[in-house]
Amino acid sequence: MRKLFVALMPLIAVAGINFGQQSAIKINNPWIRISAEGSNTALFFELVNNSDQPDTLFEAESDLAEVVEVHETYKRENDMMGMRRVKFVVIPPKSVVIFKPRDLHVMLIKLKKDMKENDKGVAILIFKNAGRIKLEAVVRNMPRMNN
Amino acid sequence: MKKRIGLFFLLIILLTISCGDNFPVIEDLGNTDYRLVDQYANETVFPDNIKGKIVIAGYIFTNCPDICPLTTNNMRLIQERLKGEGIEGVQFISISFDPDNDSPEVLKKFAEIRNLDLSNWTFLTGEKPVVDELMKHVGVLAVPGDSTVFPSGKVSYYYIHTDRIQLIDEEGKIRKNYPGSSINIDEIVNDVKQFVR
Ligand SMILES: [Cu+2]
Repeated sequence: MRKLFVALMPLIAVAGINFGQQSAIKINNPWIRISAEGSNTALFFELVNNSDQPDTLFEAESDLAEVVEVHETYKRENDMMGMRRVKFVVIPPKSVVIFKPRDLHVMLIKLKKDMKENDKGVAILIFKNAGRIKLEAVVRNMPRMNN
Repeated sequence: MKKRIGLFFLLIILLTISCGDNFPVIEDLGNTDYRLVDQYANETVFPDNIKGKIVIAGYIFTNCPDICPLTTNNMRLIQERLKGEGIEGVQFISISFDPDNDSPEVLKKFAEIRNLDLSNWTFLTGEKPVVDELMKHVGVLAVPGDSTVFPSGKVSYYYIHTDRIQLIDEEGKIRKNYPGSSINIDEIVNDVKQFVR
């Protein structure tokens, strides 16, 4: 737990997350995939729920793109892949839900500017219980290998 | 006589481990001409433009936020591996199945922002009917699925599509299909080595 807190410190400092008692959701390792202005991209992170209560992610907001939606990539028959909007994502008590490539993502649709390697971008995730939590994500080509 | 039979089997084994049987011809593109344009808007005829080279082809649309960037990144990793091992004569191509959005300019930007090495990598797009015909030929399906409605009322569709990287030989024959976004880099690098002489 202390490790987690230490890992989150820079994030908290930069993004000014409300870290009060009611915010039981922690957002770890947020990153955005490189993409060009006018195009789309995805935001990934880990949602850690340390509380005894489930929480639900409903929505996301960001000034980085014209439209922001919670999405999932899914497999279809014959090696086909698709992507669709999901209305909500439940984070069960004492668990971690990972938004990652080929899986859940927050889709940033029609970027207002280029997102180049090491750029930073802010987004807000909106939870049923934890409310609005701000994150600052770093732009990468691919995730770091060990997390 | 026994010796002869032994030799016979040895020959069979040698034939089997040489290219032919491991890489059956999936489709022959050799006798066709698809008029396309590259990321610099130069007209080009596919697969004429790549004949005589081993080709690693990926199929993408740039509005794709997840699968196609993964496929593209895997091609970059393959390119780096081959370069690192001193294997030459391999050409990379990424073909868009969404030409309505993917103009040469958009493709150029897609490659540039990722810092891709375009010395042996070309992005291709073209007229919709031509691209559709080509996709049918190479066995890549792309159908509009979910969509996003913009505040302006404009609708943007996301393709449900075949997740594909292909190995094409010097004669324009498709020899192997791989899952683009989750390809095993070692596997395709080893396969390429069997074609490069
Ligand atoms: Cu998406």
